[in-house]
Amino acid sequence: MSGDGARRRIPRDELAEATALGDVYLRRLRRAQLGLSLLALVAFGGLIGALPLVLFLVPGLREIDVLGVPLSILLIVVPPYPLFVTMGWLYQRRADALDAAFRDLASAREDREDRFR
Amino acid sequence: MTLSIIAVSIVATAAIGIGSWGVRLARTTSDLFVASRAVTPWWNAAAISGEYLSAASFLGVAGLLMKLGAAALWLPIGFTGGYLALLLFVAAPLRRMGAYTIADFAEARLGSPGMRLVAAATTLLIAGFYLVPQLKGAGIAVGEITGGPYAVGVVAVAVIVALSVGLGGMRGITYVQAFQYWVKVFAIALPACILLIHLGGLPAKSALFGRDLPTAPAGGLVVELEREHEVRFPRAAAYTVDGVPARAERGETRSIGPGTLELEEGTTVPVATGIDAEPGDDWSRPVAEDGPASPLLVYSLLVATFLGTMGLPHILVRFYTNPDGPAARRTTVRVLGLLGVFYLFPVVYGMLGRVMTPELYVTGETDTVVLRLPVAAWPGLGGEILAAVTAAGAFAAFMSTASGLLVSVAGTLSFDVWGRLSGRPRPRRADRRRWFRIAAVAGMIVPAAIALVSRDLDISLLVGWAFALAASTFCPLLLLGIWWTGLTTRGAVAGMAGGATSATGGILLGLAIGADDTDVAGALLTQPALVSVPLAFATMVAVSRLDLRGTQPTEGQLLSLHAPEGLGLRARQAAASAEPVELPRSGP
Repeated sequence: MSGDGARRRIPRDELAEATALGDVYLRRLRRAQLGLSLLALVAFGGLIGALPLVLFLVPGLREIDVLGVPLSILLIVVPPYPLFVTMGWLYQRRADALDAAFRDLASAREDREDRFR
Repeated sequence: MTLSIIAVSIVATAAIGIGSWGVRLARTTSDLFVASRAVTPWWNAAAISGEYLSAASFLGVAGLLMKLGAAALWLPIGFTGGYLALLLFVAAPLRRMGAYTIADFAEARLGSPGMRLVAAATTLLIAGFYLVPQLKGAGIAVGEITGGPYAVGVVAVAVIVALSVGLGGMRGITYVQAFQYWVKVFAIALPACILLIHLGGLPAKSALFGRDLPTAPAGGLVVELEREHEVRFPRAAAYTVDGVPARAERGETRSIGPGTLELEEGTTVPVATGIDAEPGDDWSRPVAEDGPASPLLVYSLLVATFLGTMGLPHILVRFYTNPDGPAARRTTVRVLGLLGVFYLFPVVYGMLGRVMTPELYVTGETDTVVLRLPVAAWPGLGGEILAAVTAAGAFAAFMSTASGLLVSVAGTLSFDVWGRLSGRPRPRRADRRRWFRIAAVAGMIVPAAIALVSRDLDISLLVGWAFALAASTFCPLLLLGIWWTGLTTRGAVAGMAGGATSATGGILLGLAIGADDTDVAGALLTQPALVSVPLAFATMVAVSRLDLRGTQPTEGQLLSLHAPEGLGLRARQAAASAEPVELPRSGP
């Protein structure tokens, strides 16, 4: 099989046949997804994880009165939840984008291949 | 009281109605997968939230806030944060793998049938421990609502849930649980807002945030004690029992009751043993130098709930009801929002309860504050209507979680355990349905029996135990199984055994020596995740590395976990592994 009739192998074929090359493609996606998840975890852990420490080290937050409730209590009752949704939403967008990029790469036709080289 | 019974009946009837409607709807589709496609992310997210918000959330958070103080407010943060962890590390891969249960996942990922039994046994243990507090909550709530004995509530709810799951209502359970989520949000939010408006804000701020201990409200405090209660008087107080006057000195412990305890207005309320009487400014401290709010204990609580959520079996099976990986992610983001809306409100009950229902400090039954508060804060018809609303919400809470748990117990018993032990892993559909129904009834007997005899156990203890077990077994299994190619069967089993042993050992030892969670050593025993989870991870990695048999080839499994949809890879995978369809699981 040579000449114009031969279809060039695309990454999808390597994945489907579980070749060593396919394994490399998949590992790259896995690493990218894991990296994104860990980044989100560190950002989230940093924000929520710092909260007990901040409340512990800054006792003055108790003295600040917001709507009749000490700020130290309001801080753990309200803001964490919008933060969860925001972080989750940002992560979901990036993770879907990584998947989409992989899909493009894997099913890349000849004319599109250069973009990913 | 009559209003409450009516409200509870309405919620129960509506749930049964939606359930039977859902069953009919699901029958028109040929298999589970197509039915799951009909579940949009919003419905699915409401169903997950409905299943997840248990009696521990609806009643327990406010009760713990009243009892322990503001440190309890870290609990819902950890509960919700666990969902973020699920989103980041588990949701999409688990959905893509197409596993129905953790036992399915474990066997498929490690290529070992033995792993299925290990994971199934762990599922039963965790779900059982989680089911008991639901039934306990049911007993307490039904007792509160009808005035009947505790056992009646437990048995009635156990029978209703077992029958509704066993008779095949699981197809409609997504719609029932989604409905129950909205019932719960409405039932916790509406009375909280109305009571705050009725009272014109938070009353008696000095008992909440100032120097005062909880005191008898205007008009005095009358507490009916059904049995003898050991109480401690944090300050000297005069009181009467059945009209006989008595006086207790500061710090004195007395046994009072059965009888009617009366305190005059302004008298400092005695507290049941096991509760710390704290003045408002200590009580309202989210983090403090010592006690349950010490930084180490707060972090321990956050880590335990955060990691534990990841391993709760009845939650994990829900991801299969999503059409694909990206939908699983979208659903989880919505769950974060729905949980957040709910968790804004229990704090209101805990705070108002400290002022308006201090008698719960005497009896130690702070878990009932959500049910008791409306009438105490607003005597008359208004309060009774609101009490009916919270009663309906509590009922929805333990019904939805208990049925979700029972479905996962019955599925595991009938398919993962029975299917293997009877040597017929691929039984006929009719057999499978029969096994499932028997398992639904059988799976309820043990938790109901435990709930009946454990009336005086703290409702939060078993939930903590279940969370610690989930965190120490399934959490490392899932994280390493999904993201680390080096995991072996021996490593997984050793890590799960080590995690389960250290978590359970810590809790049992804590019970045996009567450790209370107000000091560091005691808290690490009653809440061992901070130690047992790293131990489980380390054991899994170390034993896998030392495993002479090495790892199984994992390319296929990793492909099915991580490859995005739309490449035509998954169809080939599914055909090759010949997934069983028509399994009775917790989603349509």
